[in-house]
Amino acid sequence: MTYRETNISVSLVSSLLVLGYYLVSWLQMYQDEGMNSTVVFRLWVIVIVATILLNILGNILTSIVISIVHAIKTQSNKEPRFIEDERDKLIELKGTKAAYITFSIGVFLSMLTFALGQPPLVMFSLIIFFSIAAEIVGDFWQLNFYRRGVQYG
Amino acid sequence: MDKGQVHNNIRKLRFHHDEMTQEQLSEIVGVTRQTIIAIEGGKYAPSLDLAFRIALAFGVPLDEVFSYTTGDE
Repeated sequence: MTYRETNISVSLVSSLLVLGYYLVSWLQMYQDEGMNSTVVFRLWVIVIVATILLNILGNILTSIVISIVHAIKTQSNKEPRFIEDERDKLIELKGTKAAYITFSIGVFLSMLTFALGQPPLVMFSLIIFFSIAAEIVGDFWQLNFYRRGVQYG
Repeated sequence: MDKGQVHNNIRKLRFHHDEMTQEQLSEIVGVTRQTIIAIEGGKYAPSLDLAFRIALAFGVPLDEVFSYTTGDE
């Protein structure tokens, strides 16, 4: 597995963890006390901060672990090549496209709930949900392209 | 028109160039080893720029490295 693939896998796992936490917390809140704006805002902050922190920590840890594994494998101080070539860029582009499509559909569905008379908190909660889901879809597609191959067009 | 496929002789050319490794070729042309593996395995068709750089690395014309067949062939 390459550096990029490892990074994407770490991002995928952290996004899944955040999404799981978000869903469980949201359902718990919904069952316990209904939609409370203070609790919902706190949950959004936790989810956004957790996503950013987990991604940064994941990137740092991946780089460290890959460098250590590379040093052990090659028995030298030569640093591993963390380069991003045209194939990586193409795969990233296609993954981003899949993520944007997912997010666009998600935003449309979220707005639909508002149009159907649900409170704005539901709409924004769904937008947060779909933003994490879009990241998962993007990461999944990228890993899929690394495994199955990618072509232009 | 049916989608065509890009074929390559990279494996053979590496063998005829002192059994050049995929890692060595990747360093010469400036991509990752995984990209060379993907090109060799037909899982990725390189850009024209990279295709020329690979041909230059072997010192042969482009059509000795890559060939193209349409779906009808």
